[in-house]
Amino acid sequence: MTDHEALIREAIAAEADQAVDHRAVLAELRRKRSRRRPIALFAAATLTVAAAAVAVIVPLAVDRTASAPPAKQVAPASNARTVLLIGTDGGGNTDSIVLVRIAADTPVSAVWLPRDALVDLPGVGVDRLNSAYARGREVGGGQAGAEALARAVESLTGVAVDHHAEIDVAGVAALSDVVGGVDVCLRKPARDHLSGVDLPAGRILLGGQQALAFLRQRNGLPNGDLDRVMRQQVFLRALAAKVVGAQDPALVARVVEAARSTVRTDPGLELLEFAQRITPTMRTAIIPLGAEVDVENGTGPVRGHAVDPAAVRAFAAGFFADGAADTPTGGFTEPPAATQTQSPGEQESERGCVS
Amino acid sequence: MPDDDYDQFVTERLDRLLRYATALTCDKHLAQDIVQDVLLRARQRWARIGAVDVPYLYVKRMVTNEYLSWRRRRAARDVSSTHVSLDDLAPAVADPAIRHAERDAMRARIAVLPRKQRAALVLRYYEDSTDAEIAEVLGCTEGTVRSHISRALHKLRVNEKTPSEVLR
Repeated sequence: MTDHEALIREAIAAEADQAVDHRAVLAELRRKRSRRRPIALFAAATLTVAAAAVAVIVPLAVDRTASAPPAKQVAPASNARTVLLIGTDGGGNTDSIVLVRIAADTPVSAVWLPRDALVDLPGVGVDRLNSAYARGREVGGGQAGAEALARAVESLTGVAVDHHAEIDVAGVAALSDVVGGVDVCLRKPARDHLSGVDLPAGRILLGGQQALAFLRQRNGLPNGDLDRVMRQQVFLRALAAKVVGAQDPALVARVVEAARSTVRTDPGLELLEFAQRITPTMRTAIIPLGAEVDVENGTGPVRGHAVDPAAVRAFAAGFFADGAADTPTGGFTEPPAATQTQSPGEQESERGCVS
Repeated sequence: MPDDDYDQFVTERLDRLLRYATALTCDKHLAQDIVQDVLLRARQRWARIGAVDVPYLYVKRMVTNEYLSWRRRRAARDVSSTHVSLDDLAPAVADPAIRHAERDAMRARIAVLPRKQRAALVLRYYEDSTDAEIAEVLGCTEGTVRSHISRALHKLRVNEKTPSEVLR
């Protein structure tokens, strides 16, 4: 050990000595923890079912597997509902924000709103979209967070949000095991310490922890969060394809049961009631996005994707128009093609591979 | 019980994690934010983390990654400007201990190193980690670790003669 190194060692130790008192932090941790663990997480699951998986899969599966769907004339086309799906990491961080429109005789339409889209939040200024959730949650828990995010999404898209549902991404990943694995295709091998992902390139059967890692990885991807969005879309479509392809009502029941425990929704959301009448196709898109920029918002610089509210509103109006079933245009499509319409069961071609 | 296990881990390791994060960030408040954030997340996944050989290493890696990728909230404040206490660090006029002054000047120099170099330095000289362990935590090769450290050492030596006035 040279004197130079000894001095460095002392300097670093002196820096470490500046640390805040751990007892205060311990108290803070305990306080946050008790607030962050609402019992509702489990209790509310009995209310209804609405995971992205379910919103997508159940309609598809029921349509294909039930030879004679029960005649249930409760849902005319105008009775469309818009559900905000909030994918969380189980610890209160919002990983994905998806606005889903479900209507009878119309494809399920789902548009992803990147969590780092920069929006103007009332009383806050410009910040990332998912910060609305975090702020609401700070004040009044998960339900308040979801409602605050719903308001922010409404004001950004101009689309009224009827219901919201919070989904633990880990639970969605677990669905892959229920169906015996989900097929995806990777352009390059994926390895990342943070998410624990370790997958080869090419077509793979995803299950268990690797499914979760696949859905969560953001670091090390060329387009970060946007690549993660693509992965979620690909995963959900592949999951739906698997369920539909199985032609097995018992499998559907198991998927629904598994999804039930991973979702909590606002009171009053019941999707199953008109699930039978939904067309078995799914349209996915990402809202129009600008470049990644840094903005100043009073509390410090924030980095995110610039968003033109007028463009987003115009896109959402077209995408969610009654009876819209065409391939969406105008959303974010850079690279690779982020928007496509696909029938469940259809084979993913090589171009369906993701980063 | 995972809960008890987690509580025990936090009770035993919190102080050390805070010190490590403070040495890493040169900002005790940022360090607190990061450690709190990481521990809350770790709790959600404790069934898995608690099962690995050395949970402390795992959590330390989470803290390090969080710091290295830190861009939110207090975020983009650059490392050099983050270190608000540069003024405090200048040797006090009446300071009798020269070593003390040298040490504080060194602190200031360390605080303006690039993040990864500083992380490697803190892991070696504060956590006494081997190159292999540092490589594991930083997610790079041992060769890169050695290069981070030698660059940092070189830079600290070159700047050694820089009078603290220049740093202000």
